Order: sequence, then structure tokens, then C-alpha cells
Amino acid sequence: MIFRAVEDGDLISRVRKGDVEAFNLLVSRWEKRVFNYLLRLTGNPDDSLDLSQDVFLKAYQNIRKLDDTARFGPWLFRIAHNETYSHFRKRRPEVDNGDETLIEREPARGPAPDLTIAVTAALDRLTPEQREAVVLKVYEGFKFDEMAQILGTPVSTIKSRLYTALDLLKTELAPTSSRGNDRGIR
Amino acid sequence: MSTCDRAEALRDYAFDELPAGERPEMEQHIAVCGDCAAELDQLRVTTAVLRVLPDREIPQRIAFVSDKVFQPSALSRFFGGFWNSAARLGFASACVLAVALIVSAYRPAPADVSKQINDAVAQAVARIRQEDAQMLAASETKHDREHRILMEAVDVLQERRNVDILTSAEGQ
Repeated sequence: MIFRAVEDGDLISRVRKGDVEAFNLLVSRWEKRVFNYLLRLTGNPDDSLDLSQDVFLKAYQNIRKLDDTARFGPWLFRIAHNETYSHFRKRRPEVDNGDETLIEREPARGPAPDLTIAVTAALDRLTPEQREAVVLKVYEGFKFDEMAQILGTPVSTIKSRLYTALDLLKTELAPTSSRGNDRGIR
Repeated sequence: MSTCDRAEALRDYAFDELPAGERPEMEQHIAVCGDCAAELDQLRVTTAVLRVLPDREIPQRIAFVSDKVFQPSALSRFFGGFWNSAARLGFASACVLAVALIVSAYRPAPADVSKQINDAVAQAVARIRQEDAQMLAASETKHDREHRILMEAVDVLQERRNVDILTSAEGQ
């Protein structure tokens, strides 16, 4: 008997034949990553949960349009990216007169509250595009070509945003960084 | 930020985006370039600090139930699957062709068509028999004429021979 891990591609084939349970399995694999991506962009857990549900509903409705099942992750995050910016456009008149920082973010709960607050505050000071580049690269671990698919932007632009953001974060977090905590970049 | 002209390649290396063939050369460069070594350390510290921010558990699991509202109709699923499969399309075409052949083989011919065919065959047979009789009669006529001519020729030759015999007898 040969055991083989069920790949996302196998599940997608079953979903295309109408198997909802296969889609629920896909959701369970990806929901935490999508939720945390949205949370780091919006800063609001309730909005992030609502957006997550919208993202997976759209993914289910459009899964026949996915050409390469091996790139399900970037495709799903592309939907999440579009939903997030659509959400920003809808709520912009309420919260923003040109200042994105008016969105109140809830600091993440972690082992050292002062450190997590400092990191959250440093991320908040980035532009939304820079923050998204950092989130996709540092937290979600996407490759540059996958990020280009998600954001619909050339790799050169993404690298520019990411490296500029890291320069800013390096300055913002310098006192914190000097405390150590070097886990390595990968 | 490193002032070295290989700063961007260094950052690609730090994020594991530098092609594998270029990595050993970059590692050798880092070993001798103080700026790049310091930049790499700072990048590692910064990303490590960023990763202190933990992933949160999703407050409510997402799941879907089988609901016809969200599902494509059975008809659209069938046609979607049908047009997306060359094998199914080929099999369906073969079935249609087979049915057409069977129907055409077993369908009885209309009665008036059979009568028309029989009449046509009878006419053709009669015409051929008539032609045969004409050809036979013509052949017999020709044969009789040739026989008569031949007999006349034999008679002429016999007369000549008789004359020759009589002439030679008189000479002796």
C-alpha cells in the first residue's frame, strides 16, 4: 500500500466536481494564513474574519477559473488582496482624510507585549503597499514571482517596496533589535 | 544600508531569492566585505524581530455546507465537464455515429421504391434479351450469306478444275 499526501491540486479537482467537503479541507489548510494576512493589513479581527469568509466564498465560486492548481496559494491571496483593497475603498470616507494611521490597530498578543507593540507600531508607519510587501515576504514566505501574481505588480517594484520598508523598519526597531533575538532570516 | 554595489544581490541572498549558481560567489563576497556582512546581520535581526509578532488563531472556523445557492446547476456542471473533456466529446461523437449507422441499416425501404426497382430490373432484362435475339438473328443472317458466298466460290473452283482436266485430256 502506498500512502500519498493529498495535494491541494487533488482537492481542487474534487471541488470542481461539486465536492464541498474537499473545499472545506482546503479552507482548513489556508484559513489561518489568510486570516493573519488580512489582520496584518486591516488591523481589525472582525473585518479580517468577514473578509476571510468572502475570500473563500469567491474562491469556491471561481475555482474553475484557476488555470494552474499548483499556484492555488498565490491565486487565493490575490483574491484576498483584491477584497482588502475593495474593503479599504468602501470604508475610506468614514476613517480617512488622507491619514491611514487613523485606523486603530489592536496590538497582537505575544510573549513580550512591549516588543509586539513596537513591531505593530513600526508596521503601521509603513505605507499600505510597503506593509503588504513585508507581510507577504516575511510572514507568509512567498517568492517574488508569487508576490507579483498576488499584487499584479512587477517584481522590481515589489523588491523596491520591500527593501525600502526594511530600511525604515530597521531604523524604527533599532533599539529593539539591539536586544538580540536573532533567529536567522529563513 | 550597505554602500557596496552588490547590496541588492545581498538582500536577494538573504531572502533565498538569489539563483543557486550565484550563492557561493555571494558567500565568498560576504566573507571579505564588511559592509555586506553587517547589512546581512541587520536584515536578519530586523526580520527576526518582525517575526516576534505571532500568528493569531482564527476566532471562528470557516466551513461551507452543500447549498444549491452556491453550486452551479447540474446542467452547467454536466456541460462544463462535457466540453472540458476531449475523451467524453469523442465518445459522444462515436455514439451518435453508431446510432445513425444502426438506424440506416434497419430502416425498411418504402414499398413504391421496391416496385420501381423491380420494374427497372425487368425492363433491363427484357431489353438485354431483345438485344441478344437481334444479335443472334444478325449473326445467323451473316453466317448464311457467308456460307452461300463460300459455296459459290467452291462451285467456281470446281468448274475451273473440271475445265482444266478436260483441257489436259484433250491435249494428250
